[in-house]
Amino acid sequence: MFKLDRKSIIIGTSAIATSALLLSGCMGTTASSGDSASAGAPSSTGVYSIKNKTAIDGGVTYERKNGTYAAYKYNEQSTKGVNFGRTPTANEIAAWDVDALPDGSGLPEGEGSVEEGDELFEAQCASCHGDFGGGGNGYPQLAGGNQAKDKNGVVITLKNQREYGKTDAPKRTVGTYWPVATTLFTYIRDAMPYATPKSLSANETYAITAYILAQNGIEIDGEEMDDEYVLNAEKLTKVVLPNRHGFYPNIDGPTGPADVKAFFADRAKNIGSGTRCMTDCKDPGGQDGKTEAKVMKIGYEMKDVVPAYAYARDLPPEVEDKSITKAEKMYNESCKLCHATDKMGAPAVGDVEAWRAVTAKGVDKVVYNAINGMGGMPPKGGNEDLIPSEVKEIVDFMIESSKPKH
Amino acid sequence: MNKEFDTEESASVVSRRDFFKRTASVSAVAAASILAPGALLADDENIMHHPKWGTSLGDECNYNPYGFPSKYEHNVVRRTSALMSSAGDMHAAISMTPLHEQKGIITPSGLHFTRTHNGVAHVDPNKYRLMIHGLVEKPIVLTLEQLKRYPSESKILFMECPSNGAAEWKGPQFNSLQFVRGMMSCSEWTGVRLKTILDELGLKPEAKWMLAEGSDGSEMSRTLPIEKVLDDVMIVWGQNGEALRDEQGYPVRLMAPGWEANLCVKWLKRLEFGDKPWYAKEETSKYTALTASGRAIQHFYALETNSVITSPCPEIPWTDLKKGDLVEIEGLAWSGHGTIRGVDISFDGGKNWVEASLKGLVLPKAWTRFSYMYRYEGKPLLLQSRSYDDSDNVQPTVNQEKKVVGVEGVYHRNAIHTWAVNAKGEVNNVQVRS
Repeated sequence: MFKLDRKSIIIGTSAIATSALLLSGCMGTTASSGDSASAGAPSSTGVYSIKNKTAIDGGVTYERKNGTYAAYKYNEQSTKGVNFGRTPTANEIAAWDVDALPDGSGLPEGEGSVEEGDELFEAQCASCHGDFGGGGNGYPQLAGGNQAKDKNGVVITLKNQREYGKTDAPKRTVGTYWPVATTLFTYIRDAMPYATPKSLSANETYAITAYILAQNGIEIDGEEMDDEYVLNAEKLTKVVLPNRHGFYPNIDGPTGPADVKAFFADRAKNIGSGTRCMTDCKDPGGQDGKTEAKVMKIGYEMKDVVPAYAYARDLPPEVEDKSITKAEKMYNESCKLCHATDKMGAPAVGDVEAWRAVTAKGVDKVVYNAINGMGGMPPKGGNEDLIPSEVKEIVDFMIESSKPKH
Repeated sequence: MNKEFDTEESASVVSRRDFFKRTASVSAVAAASILAPGALLADDENIMHHPKWGTSLGDECNYNPYGFPSKYEHNVVRRTSALMSSAGDMHAAISMTPLHEQKGIITPSGLHFTRTHNGVAHVDPNKYRLMIHGLVEKPIVLTLEQLKRYPSESKILFMECPSNGAAEWKGPQFNSLQFVRGMMSCSEWTGVRLKTILDELGLKPEAKWMLAEGSDGSEMSRTLPIEKVLDDVMIVWGQNGEALRDEQGYPVRLMAPGWEANLCVKWLKRLEFGDKPWYAKEETSKYTALTASGRAIQHFYALETNSVITSPCPEIPWTDLKKGDLVEIEGLAWSGHGTIRGVDISFDGGKNWVEASLKGLVLPKAWTRFSYMYRYEGKPLLLQSRSYDDSDNVQPTVNQEKKVVGVEGVYHRNAIHTWAVNAKGEVNNVQVRS
């Protein structure tokens, strides 16, 4: 059985002493850069001491002192009395406070049978989670997996490790992995069905929960869940899932937070940590614990990424802007500067009278002038890239935009 | 239209890889040109002619009332993969930040990685409400405007999905920095310290845990211990100087500095204080790390001490370098436990190490840049970085990590990463393990 390591948290150990413990074999060879001489001393960039390593996660807490928090200044003025918002009504709290705890508190009234759940699951869940919750469609598998335990109470198949040629995955279903059944109820009610969450009633949720538990062969109070079995809050609270004790550190009871803290205080043991070896470092591993590390290359490269890998700094494929015609776009780029208003002496687009005069000698003449220039206007409005047919398109747009509005 | 311009552009814009090839093929000439400027090299068209943008009127000053990156940067985007989803469905999926293009330590909000469990919710800020209740003397409900009346703080903090690197537990799979480490970003976050509000509401002494619940379709909920809540947890509405993006939980998300991004609940709706943990779905069936013992680590909060070399990387190789070039090796280090104290670099797969320099801001629970000036020799390398922080955590080797937790844990992978640089300067993702 897993036992919490309650080794006391190192408080007040000096930075240098602790660093020295972490360093090994680094006093020999000088590396190429010439700056490895400082390897034995803490880096000057380590501006915070480790004496505050007291956080629940095994990390450092930084004091708020004299208006300073780590590298930040903070507001030292009192915030006492800042008071916005209002007290929620009892109904409002009841409407939102619908969570349920493992002890069953918070579970709503209602009931549903395995059989009803079967029908609902078939209609609303199986397309993703597979028939009987057996998976296979790429979404989480809910039922199945071997629940057999070893003498220590550990689900044996959860010890599967896909390494050294082994390919059996640990299966994480409700029956093999989930610790608590109330979670199943609240999650189904609040987050499922996937595309229409929160559409199931309490009765329907009890029914689907019952069906999934039944598919996992769960017994409640020693009773098998056959088709007629009706689940309600009281019975759901009695469910003990096979992997109830498969998690650590302990979080329950009055010592929960302290147990968590003790666990993370020894990360090297419980999570894994490195050492600051600097030269001639050995890294044995493997099944025998002795094999020297080798280089493992990508066996099968995952390449199906979206959007596809691309690194060029080129122009993106042009997306047609349908809100604006090609003619208007060209007008905006080459003509609008002068023709937007009559301030530049050019006939303003939209000015009906002005354009009546412009077009008096026919559209062809207007196009000719636009191509060759006229008065203060340079040929093609100064954009020599325009070809005659494009100038014609622009002129047509300007004339069309300057007709009387009906 | 603009035909001449288009031609010019297509001639002068070559892909980076092509450019490297060209440069390599004329490297002797280029080397000579440093000594005798212009003696042998053909004149560069880009210098000899005025560019189009210099001989025409640009766009109006405020033509984009909300600006965009240059259109030439259109390939700098988040990317995802069917592997990061269920059956290729992209509503419960994750997109990765293009770390190879990341400058400094602030990720542009539009490139911040995104994880959703039931799609990106689009919350109407006028209908937004936040309820804080349970074991407090005075429960409260706030509109967005009322919440933003609370005194704010801004902090630069990284945000990382605990699945970052999860595809690599059993060996290397993706050949890109973006997919090896892109489930993380770093922003300046603005909001109110939760303790400031709780000081007014009066937390009851029996309160030990807090439930944070989102308002999206997944009703994302997680339990946090009170100690953290009272230390540095914030309710944030600002990111990099503007409102949160929809993908980051607009208008409000929780920020638990240094802890699993999943705990930083988006579209935050409700905080309830209680005396027992809730056993929410995302802290039981998921976000628990199954170890080789057959049991799983739960309430696995702080992201690990970690680092990765961002240049070179498969996307930014050294194929344009010549022997003797002095080049910067650059990378990112981060730790959810505290502040990065230093980073070591190895060129031989972890046998020998040298110290890199940190550069820029060195802040708790934030990305920290490291740098090492390297004389390129054109020989194969196994490049690694190893960070350590002020909580005394040192990044483990692959072997050291899997010895304790196995290879099926999914979450919190922080083993030392290796880039294999070959003689051509190409960079590939490999692992040093046994």
